[in-house]
Amino acid sequence: MKFTELTKNGKFIITSELGPPKGFHIEKALHEAEVVWPYVNAINVTDNQSSVMRLGGLAMCKALLEKNIEPVFQVTCRDRNRLALQSDILSAALFGIDNLLLLTGDHTTLGDHKDAKPVFDLDSVSLTHMVKQLEAGKDLAGNILDGEPPKFCKGAVVSPCAEPLDPQLFKMEKKIKAGIEFFQTQAVYEVDKFDKFMKRVKEFGVPVYVGIVILKGPGMAKFMNENVAGINVPQELIEELKKDKEKTKSGQTGIEIAARLIKDLKPLCQGVHLMPLGWDDKVPQILKLSGITVDK
Amino acid sequence: MLITQLKKKEEILPFLKAKTLLVACFGCKEVFFPEKEYQNIKEEFKKLYPDLSGEIVLDYLCNEDYTAKRLELYRQEIEKAETMVVFACGVGVQTLAGLLASKTVLAGCDTFYLPGFSGFTPSSYDCEQCGECRLSSTAGICPVTACSKGLLNGPCGGAKNGKCEVSKIKECGWENIMNKITTTGKVAEKLKESVSIRDYKKSQ
Amino acid sequence: MPKLDFTKYKLKSKEELADILALKKRIFVLSCNKCFNELTSDLEPETAELNILLNETGKTATGSRALDFLCNKFLTEKTLSGLKEEVAGADAVAVIACGVGVQTIAGILNVPVLPIADSVFQGGYHGISLNAEKCGACGECYLTLTGGICPVVDCSKGLINGPCGGAKNGKCEVSKDKDCAWENIYNRLKGQNREKVFILQEPKLRNYNKNSAEFMDSYVKTIQAKRNEGFYGGLYPEEKKELTEKLPITKITAPEIVSIPLQQHAGAVCEALVKKGDKVKAGQRIGESKAAISAFVHSSVSGEVLAVEPKKHPLLPEPVLTVVIKNDKRDEVSFAVNSKGSLELSAKEDILKAIKEAGIVGMGGAQFPTHIKLNSNKPIDTILLNGCECEPLLNADYRLMVEKPEQIILGLKLLMKAAGVNKGIIAVEDNKPEALRILKAKVEGDLTVEVVPVKTKYPEGAERMLIKRVLNREVPRGGLPLEVGVIVNNIGTALAVYKAVYTGEPLISRVVTVAGEGVEKPGNYEIKTGMLLSEIVNICGINIPSNYELKMGGAIMGFVQTDFEVPVIKGTNGIVVVRKKDDLTAEPCIKCGRCVNVCPMELKPHKLVFYAQAENWEKVENEGVFNCIECGCCEDICSSKSHMVEIFKKSKKIIRERKK
Repeated sequence: MKFTELTKNGKFIITSELGPPKGFHIEKALHEAEVVWPYVNAINVTDNQSSVMRLGGLAMCKALLEKNIEPVFQVTCRDRNRLALQSDILSAALFGIDNLLLLTGDHTTLGDHKDAKPVFDLDSVSLTHMVKQLEAGKDLAGNILDGEPPKFCKGAVVSPCAEPLDPQLFKMEKKIKAGIEFFQTQAVYEVDKFDKFMKRVKEFGVPVYVGIVILKGPGMAKFMNENVAGINVPQELIEELKKDKEKTKSGQTGIEIAARLIKDLKPLCQGVHLMPLGWDDKVPQILKLSGITVDK
Repeated sequence: MLITQLKKKEEILPFLKAKTLLVACFGCKEVFFPEKEYQNIKEEFKKLYPDLSGEIVLDYLCNEDYTAKRLELYRQEIEKAETMVVFACGVGVQTLAGLLASKTVLAGCDTFYLPGFSGFTPSSYDCEQCGECRLSSTAGICPVTACSKGLLNGPCGGAKNGKCEVSKIKECGWENIMNKITTTGKVAEKLKESVSIRDYKKSQ
Repeated sequence: MPKLDFTKYKLKSKEELADILALKKRIFVLSCNKCFNELTSDLEPETAELNILLNETGKTATGSRALDFLCNKFLTEKTLSGLKEEVAGADAVAVIACGVGVQTIAGILNVPVLPIADSVFQGGYHGISLNAEKCGACGECYLTLTGGICPVVDCSKGLINGPCGGAKNGKCEVSKDKDCAWENIYNRLKGQNREKVFILQEPKLRNYNKNSAEFMDSYVKTIQAKRNEGFYGGLYPEEKKELTEKLPITKITAPEIVSIPLQQHAGAVCEALVKKGDKVKAGQRIGESKAAISAFVHSSVSGEVLAVEPKKHPLLPEPVLTVVIKNDKRDEVSFAVNSKGSLELSAKEDILKAIKEAGIVGMGGAQFPTHIKLNSNKPIDTILLNGCECEPLLNADYRLMVEKPEQIILGLKLLMKAAGVNKGIIAVEDNKPEALRILKAKVEGDLTVEVVPVKTKYPEGAERMLIKRVLNREVPRGGLPLEVGVIVNNIGTALAVYKAVYTGEPLISRVVTVAGEGVEKPGNYEIKTGMLLSEIVNICGINIPSNYELKMGGAIMGFVQTDFEVPVIKGTNGIVVVRKKDDLTAEPCIKCGRCVNVCPMELKPHKLVFYAQAENWEKVENEGVFNCIECGCCEDICSSKSHMVEIFKKSKKIIRERKK
């Protein structure tokens, strides 16, 4: 079901994330999805995440749908020009995918095929425009589509804790103007900052689902602080991770932090988006601990 | 090398306000800048907006040090202006916008590319600066630029009568390569054996 | 600030080179002297590494040569044709250059051409200066929307609708050394309160078909054709002929006082034949010289000599002996002014004598005495009358061709008779259809005189260019047109010759085009020699706007005048007001290659400047400074604002003096 309708009905959206495998054996991935599914409204399927080549998102979404799991089809502009993007969006409509997450995508040099040609024919804004065009029954070149046009719920991403924030808001507004209906955010660890962000974007009137990444250890936190855009893990969380090494290693500290964050952030936003980065099995625990239950 | 065309009149008109200063660069007027078209459009603008704040000609806008010095001479005109519409290539516009960061600097031209680096005359040969020159195996004809798909491993099936599928005025680069290889020999074997893949990292 | 270096190539790695050179034994090495970096040395590019490799791998280098701008096909082809033997002995030619250079060579030579270097990716196109700003040449400029910062080049993803989320601490996700372009754009727009405008813009999509094959091909072909039309190099300056082309020649009344310099010609200055207090008549000879090369000087009015003293000259740096005459307004004409004959009646010698008596010189500006030019012992077959008037603004010759075609043709025929040739050609640029039409009509059926249209290009009027185009004869470097059997004369000169023979009137007045910015009464005026510029400025209402300057002669080759108390002389074809050359100091040469591209004499002006600045006069001479015709093309397009013509004039002078 489309997020827009769920949000309209006052529901708090919970999503998780699934990275397709490097190979075509999806049993393990499907299993992970099935474990998480009872606790979430939908599962995002990433698109060659971090520019690392994997199985295609569209096929993975189709596989989830066959298991009656609601997917969010993530689409980036890194690997496909506007022809491929449009035909993939139409294919998504054929499969009955309702929710899209439209992104620019990481640069090719960040991934495992550094020599590849970065496409970026479109970007997140023009991609949104493109989907809207298809929804209006026309392709980007203005040609009429056969039959009933597709209809999606179009999402995008934003980094609420980015420094500086203004360029992010600037782009966010532009994305909304282009047709974005919901936002999933980059991982948030700073409640205050997120609060300020939400106050500034309230006027836009578009639901925001806050991003949560489970902290696997102090090293990961430090790495993200140095290298990942829009992420700043506060020092006290790093200390907390350092305190009990065993507990952290088992994942318990990360779970507790995530659950606490969700509890604190829930009143500020319209949903939560979990990015377990392989720790999919921890999702149910986190959600239980945070006290939120899914409302499908 | 860069070549400039005026933007359409309808595109420029909304830029023009009372306090608009036109800035033109004739440094490349000989072949790369439409000086006459500019002069004509300028006269039209003057008729439409008699209170345009003026025009300054700053040749070689792209020469930053030099332009910085020259701007001093026009300080008053520039201070008065709110908007500056620049008729120059993209490098010129950026240079001026960088030097006058507080001013609204608008571009009156679109910039295109022609093959060749130095001098005034465009070359019949193009170089994309791929960073991994393969001309030794392609008889001195560049597959990256002479083939409109930039194919590295031989022709596609799109050529007809020696012309590219993209345009009848474009020769098939690979037919030319193949023809020249048969006349100069040897290299062909190597080309057949190896599979080339571009390393785009070298041109990023 | 040190300039950036946009050298287009770097040597390939040793391993790659070994592979490329594997099957070759004898190698000829061609390298390009690089472009777009500061010209600080004339040393060849780094070929040492390659030489070591050749040595190590037991190859023989059959020769090597470093050239400027290998990609300049015309000049490179010429140079290579002189290297045929050396190249023929090699299995392959190794080329150290960018891809354009390598392909150019491969297109010329029919031997395996091996690239020894890889081109360096510049991430966009620079202008013709060494500036960090780059342009993506996308053909749909976004700078208006982005505060003058280019999203196509500066954003590593080339995003045009705003930032991605990848930046951290203002730096791009692909490199910590790279600014996030969109943060810069945002800040710039914010500072100007324009960020809302951007948000409200419709999403933009790139049009990747802007540089279609057709688009590029049409530009490349037209520009190439234009550049090589008729002769190599040259320019197409904006002509602005319309300012005066329709204005008939009118006389300006002779002034109260004339100042007639005793040097209005190439060669020796005349001795004065009059002294203070003498009465003179119009057309009376007042100066002559016994030197081999000189021309007589005559009074342009009747009156009294007020002084014979050195006075400022419009062309020469030092004051020149000048006869100042007070006009008595009686227009008394010298007894010497009477018909000397006609085309039919006068013999070759009579015509030559009349020309000499009349003090006729080349009236296109060079002022070489005409009787000497005609009296050569070289075999001549053609007189070429130069009706090109290729300098912008000038119409003096054009008006003469339109208004006095019969006299000009008679003048030409007199010149032909004087030189003993049966062939005369009048070459007129095709931007003067009216003159062509009239002249053609006048010579119809005449087998001795031909009227030839030539394409308009500067400096078409330069003798050797014209000869190349009209007769397809190449005047050797450092040689004269005589050596290929041609004498070139100016339109005004032909008219003066006609007058000298038919009326006996010496050269004491001429047609001058007065035009340009701030000229209230532009026109084509017949003016007495010796009339001061200051009076003409008053009569024609010349108010020179700021950033403009007044030149005597043409808009390009004319001489800038700051002191207006100088007279009109025999060679003054124009008084023009043109945009001032910048007086800011020249910047270092960055080898943009444009001067080499426009030099009609096929010189390397940038190298001449470089050697002149290093005072390496031997090299300046070897590079051919004496072939420079001072047409000013190089200076006109120099991206470093070098005052090249001045440097070349000075160099010639210095070299000549050193030889004395």
